[in-house]
Amino acid sequence: MVHLAKKSIKKGALDIMFADWLFILFTVCAVLGAAGLVSFRHPMNSAMSFVVTLISLAGLYALLSAKLIFATQLIVYAGAIMSLIIFIIMFLNIQNEDLPVEEGRLKNMTIGAVLIAPIGLFLMKVVKQIPGSDTVVVDPNFGGVKEVGQLLFSKWLLPFEIVSILLLVALVGAVVLAGKRGINK
Amino acid sequence: MIHSYLMVSVILFCIGMLGVISRRNVFTVFMSIELMLNAANLAFVAFSRLHESMDGHVLALMVMAVAAAEAALALAVVILLHKHKGKLDTNVFSLLKG
Repeated sequence: MVHLAKKSIKKGALDIMFADWLFILFTVCAVLGAAGLVSFRHPMNSAMSFVVTLISLAGLYALLSAKLIFATQLIVYAGAIMSLIIFIIMFLNIQNEDLPVEEGRLKNMTIGAVLIAPIGLFLMKVVKQIPGSDTVVVDPNFGGVKEVGQLLFSKWLLPFEIVSILLLVALVGAVVLAGKRGINK
Repeated sequence: MIHSYLMVSVILFCIGMLGVISRRNVFTVFMSIELMLNAANLAFVAFSRLHESMDGHVLALMVMAVAAAEAALALAVVILLHKHKGKLDTNVFSLLKG
């Protein structure tokens, strides 16, 4: 997909149209998946539509020629994190009667949308005022594993190490929280 | 071109916020938070394409690591609460005592 986007940028107007069509397709899929996430009643359906959102976001990353992020999004997000969430949803064996009763869900969501609309409009306005230069051609190595890795291990070395500590703390915390029964025995 | 990506990011962020404030199912709320993190990621990557520097990519990787840690901890808490109360309602979880 990266290649498609790049080629289309280099070639004529017809192929630029193709990249635009891909952008529209991924955007529609992402927004529909997100809408499904907030509106489905059963968390399993929500998780499935969230996976659609994540995969279309990976496509958007590819269109932005972020190759490493594209792969990481698919492997870590759509693969690992979502399978963890779906595993827990299935592990808890949620039936329809276990779900919280939300009779006023539609009303709540309408009120919520009215509350959020000003924030969204404000952000849209801010986005419109960002000066954008439409550089269509980037370096072919932009966003590759080597380039991002070099940056990660030179300029961002300290945050990277701190993230490793964060993951260790989260691991220990999850074991302490979820493994309580074993400790009591 | 970059503006349309940022618009998508804003839309996804708003949908995530809507899910957090209007739903009561704890899994839906959790996945809405993940959606907001993803919207922020998309903004990072779009900005790094705009400025043609790859710092945004590194930050997006960091956000993914934080999301993974958050997922592990949040799911452990959800399992514990489900064991205690047998429910998935965030209103039931508002009293965390005992």
